[in-house]
Order: sequence, then C-alpha cells, then structure tokens
Amino acid sequence: MPQEDRETPGGRDISSLDFDSSGILRLQWARGVAIDAPSAQLAMDRVNELCGGRPTPLLIDMATTESVSRAARAVFAKRCDASAIALLGSSAVDRVLANFFLGVNSAPVPTRFFTNGDEAVRWLTSQGHDGA
Amino acid sequence: MDGIVVLSSGDLSNRLPVSPARDGIDAVTTGINLLAEELQSMYEDLEVRVAERTALLEAAKAELRRVIDTDELTGLASRSLLQEKVAEAVAGAGAGRQPALILLDLDSFRLINDSLGHAAGDAVLRETALRLSAAAGPGHVIARLSGDEFAVLVADQDTEAVLQTAARLGESLKDRIVAGGVAVALTAGTGVRLGEPGLRSEELIRDADIAMHEAKKRGRDTLLVFSAAMHEAAKQRVHQVAELRTALAMDQLELEYQPIMDLRTGAIAGAEALIRWRHPALGLLGPDTFLDAADDAGLTVEIGHWVLRNAIAQTGRWKSLPGLPSDFSTHINLSPADLHHVDLAPYVEGLLAEHGVDPCHISIEITETAIMRGGPEVAATMQSLNDLGVRIEIDDFGTGYSSISYLRTLPAAQAKIDKSLLDGLTTDRQQETFVAAILQLIHSAGLGAVAEGIEDREQADRLRQLNCEFGQGYFFSRPLPVADMTDLLAHRNGAVA
Repeated sequence: MPQEDRETPGGRDISSLDFDSSGILRLQWARGVAIDAPSAQLAMDRVNELCGGRPTPLLIDMATTESVSRAARAVFAKRCDASAIALLGSSAVDRVLANFFLGVNSAPVPTRFFTNGDEAVRWLTSQGHDGA
Repeated sequence: MDGIVVLSSGDLSNRLPVSPARDGIDAVTTGINLLAEELQSMYEDLEVRVAERTALLEAAKAELRRVIDTDELTGLASRSLLQEKVAEAVAGAGAGRQPALILLDLDSFRLINDSLGHAAGDAVLRETALRLSAAAGPGHVIARLSGDEFAVLVADQDTEAVLQTAARLGESLKDRIVAGGVAVALTAGTGVRLGEPGLRSEELIRDADIAMHEAKKRGRDTLLVFSAAMHEAAKQRVHQVAELRTALAMDQLELEYQPIMDLRTGAIAGAEALIRWRHPALGLLGPDTFLDAADDAGLTVEIGHWVLRNAIAQTGRWKSLPGLPSDFSTHINLSPADLHHVDLAPYVEGLLAEHGVDPCHISIEITETAIMRGGPEVAATMQSLNDLGVRIEIDDFGTGYSSISYLRTLPAAQAKIDKSLLDGLTTDRQQETFVAAILQLIHSAGLGAVAEGIEDREQADRLRQLNCEFGQGYFFSRPLPVADMTDLLAHRNGAVA
C-alpha cells in the first residue's frame, strides 16, 4: 500500500514507498524534488521501518529529481536495511546526479544506476536477496 | 555563462539553472552545480578549521605572553613586563607627575642558597615577593628582575610618598622568615630613581640600578636615591673598565715587591707582590683605585692569573741570585673570585714547573673574610694549594670574624695581622696586650705571624719582643720596582732598615 505522508516535514518529498510483487521495496521521489538531509533521513527511516531489519533490495526512482544536496548524499552513504540499491533515472541529469553520488561517496551496499526499470529489477534480483 | 563567471569569481554559493529538458547541457550544468557545492563545502570546512587553529594559536600566544610576563617562582611581573610598564608609565605621565622606580637587591642572599639549599632560597624569594607586594600596596607594578633583585614601579606619588614606600619595602623584609628550618632576617640594598620630566624609561631603570648598586657597596640595609654624581661615577667606572681591558692587553700592569723581614734575624724572608697599573695619563695606580672596576668587568680572575704568572716567573728569575736566602718566599694575594676557580691549583702547579720554582718559595695570601665566606670550594682550593706544597697565609687577620676553632682546621702556615692592630701598639698598654693575645692565638693554632704596616723601629722592636716572627712596612721598605728589589736581594742580603 502506497505510503503518503502529508504531515511529517519532508514527507511530501516521497511520492510512494512500497514493496512490489517481487519483494523489491520501491521508493519514488516526488516530481522535481530537491532532496536535502532531512528528507533523505526521513526516506531512510521509512525504508528501515518497512524492512524491519531484514536486508531488502531497494529501487529508488529518482527521475525528475531537481537536486541532491551534499548532506543528503552523506545520509545515503550510511548503511540501512537495503541489501542493494538500484537508482532508476531517465535523463542525463539523473545520470550525473547518480554517478556523482557513486563516485564521491562510497555506497555501503551494491548500488547502480539504471535508466531501464526491468534491468534494474533484474539486477536487484541477481544480487541474491532472499525475497519478501 | 554569467553563472559560471560568478562561480569563478569565488561565489561558490551560486547555482546554475537546470532546464526542465534535463538534456546533455543540463547534465553538465548539474555537474558544475555539484562541483560548486563540493568546493563550497570544502571551503567552509577549511574556514572552520582555520578558525579553530587560529583560536588555538591565540590561546598559545596568550599563554606564552603570560609566561614571558610572569616570574615563574614568585608570580610577580617579569623583567620584560616591568620594562613595558615603565615605558607605558613614562609615556602616560606626559608633563604630569612622573613615575618612580625602586630596585631592591637582597643582602647576602647567596649565603642562604649556599648554606640552606636552593629550596630554602626559593621559599625566601617567594616570601619576599609577598611582603613586598603587601608593603607596596595596590596599584604598583612589582617585578622580580633576576635572582634576588626586585623592582617596584611607583606611579603618581610625590617624592615623599615614594621614599616612604621605599623605606616600607625594606622594613617589610626584616621580620624573620623561616626557611629550611632556620629563621633568617633579610635586608636589602635599595636604589630609588625619582622620575623627572623628559627622563626616558630606560634611563629610569638604569639610574635606579646605579643607585641600588651604590647602596649595595655602602653596606647592608642601605637605601640611596639616585643623584647625578652617581651617574658620573658609574660612567667613570665604565670608562675605567674599558681602560683596564686595554691595560691588560697593552701590558700596562706591573708588580712591585715589598720586602718581608724576619724580625728575629733582621734578614729578608720574602717579598709581597703588589699589583700596580702604569696608567698612561694618571701614572702609577695602586690596586684600591682599580680592583673594584676589575670586579665589575669580570676581570678579577684574569688579573689574578696575571699576578700569579708574573710573580712566579720573577721568583724563578730570582732563585739564581747568589745572595738569595734559602727560605725566601714570594707572597701573592688572591681574591675570593680566584679561589672559586677549581683549576687554580693545577694552574699554579703548571707555573711552578714552567719556571722551576720550588712550591715552598711561594706563599698565597687569602683574606680572612674570603676564607670565612668562601664555603667548600674555597676550602678545597686551599687544600689543593697546600697539597702542592705552596704555603697559605691568612691575610688581614683580626679584621674579620674567624671562629677560633676554625682557625686550627685551616691548612695555613701563617697569619698576617692587619696594620690597623698596630695603631697604639707602642703607646697604649691595652693595645699591646691585645696584639700579644692575637699573636699568642696565632701561635697556639700552630701558625707563624707576619705583621704588616710597621712604620717605625719601636713597633718592630715591640713586635719582636712579642714573638712576632715576620714583619713588613715602610720602616723596612716601601714596595719596590722589580729592579730595586732584585738589587736589594743581590747585594744587601740582610737588614733593610
């Protein structure tokens, strides 16, 4: 069930966060979002909450993301319950944002950028998650 | 493009707009924005770090300043802080009331350190600091300048008040201080320089120092206010010190010899070497006119070595004279500073060997005061000289405060009684008894006696009757130049008078 949060500050930045049928947790940022540290932390807390301590593949749809602040990148660099992360974008801008994160910060779990959702799911599945 | 120029100019907070197209150009723009953010963040980190380091440096600098400004032992101001405060006070006084400076130097402080140890000495200095602070009252800068030298900068007081403060400082030290388990009473030599309009800060310090040194010279517990005459005298002494250095370099020093007679036989028993300075303008000067300056200049030991070298060399030249008495000895005066040099005995030994002089032909005269105040180093040097076979003679005996039992323990062969004791010897029955008692004391300690300052036959006769073995004085002969002394030894071989 999609999670909508209109009360918590930063909650509006997350468009949806839910498991799909294959047990992959999907996080979709709101359109044109500028991700800062609090919204990054909120997203991470929500992910951990849903995973309940179980390593889970995570697919983040970051298409149309306006920007990711340095502090937000630092939050994403911390370990969470995600066992692998696929960053899904569509434009050259998304690629730059994702690769900058991957290049400058060291991701705590296998993390890759994709422009194709199916490929992203395949890769996540191949990362050996134990399903949900 | 404008945005890039703004970034390049150093404003890293600027961001370039990204179009909704999110195409290749937007990707590059995003990259630049990310880069700008990284740089901005690094700059901010660096600035925080620079601020932290600057704060550390400032703290270290403040601590260093505190260390420089504070005398560690007493917590008083240091010399450098005093100099700063004097300069400030002089500059701040303008044409108004001028600051005055009081310098105090503790009397005989070295004795406390030497006899009770440095911990006791330090305790005394700390107590001195407390007492001076209390006596000076608030509002003055009180400093410790070195060892046992203190300063009080008095601002905005009239002459009378400054002098009262100075007197109060001296008085505050007189209550006994317990240090090293012993109660010691302190006094100080005090120099005061009253301020004058136009007097520079370094002159204020220099003049207070001159007054303090003059006070020290006049004896314990003396307070002197600086006068222009003192400055003249100090300048004169500085000039004399320079001249004295030249004198040593130019060989202007020479020795005269005063014969010492065996009162029992009337024969020459020896000669006392006496230093003279053949000053190019002032003529022949006696030691009393320049040895203080030598002391100020730190030339005492050098001059002492010069005297030893020349007197022993001369004794070597005399030994081949056919008429020289077999027990002839040259008497050489040494100062306390010479005796503190541990290498004195080896130096004398080297000279004796170099000039082929038997040690028994050399007598070293050391004043009673130097022996009493000299401590273990002087005792060790005396013992070493005695071990060489050189005779030790106690000079100016009867003018100091020798303990009688101590006299027996000294490795001395003779004692020379001061000429002041001969006054009234032949006219005052009581004085004769007194001299007789002193001679008896010397003899009972196993020493021979030499009387100096004999001016007439009556004195010589009376001393002989009192069993004084040796004598010297104008009655026999004034001090003689080397040539005359050599002539006397070669041809007279007998009574001079």
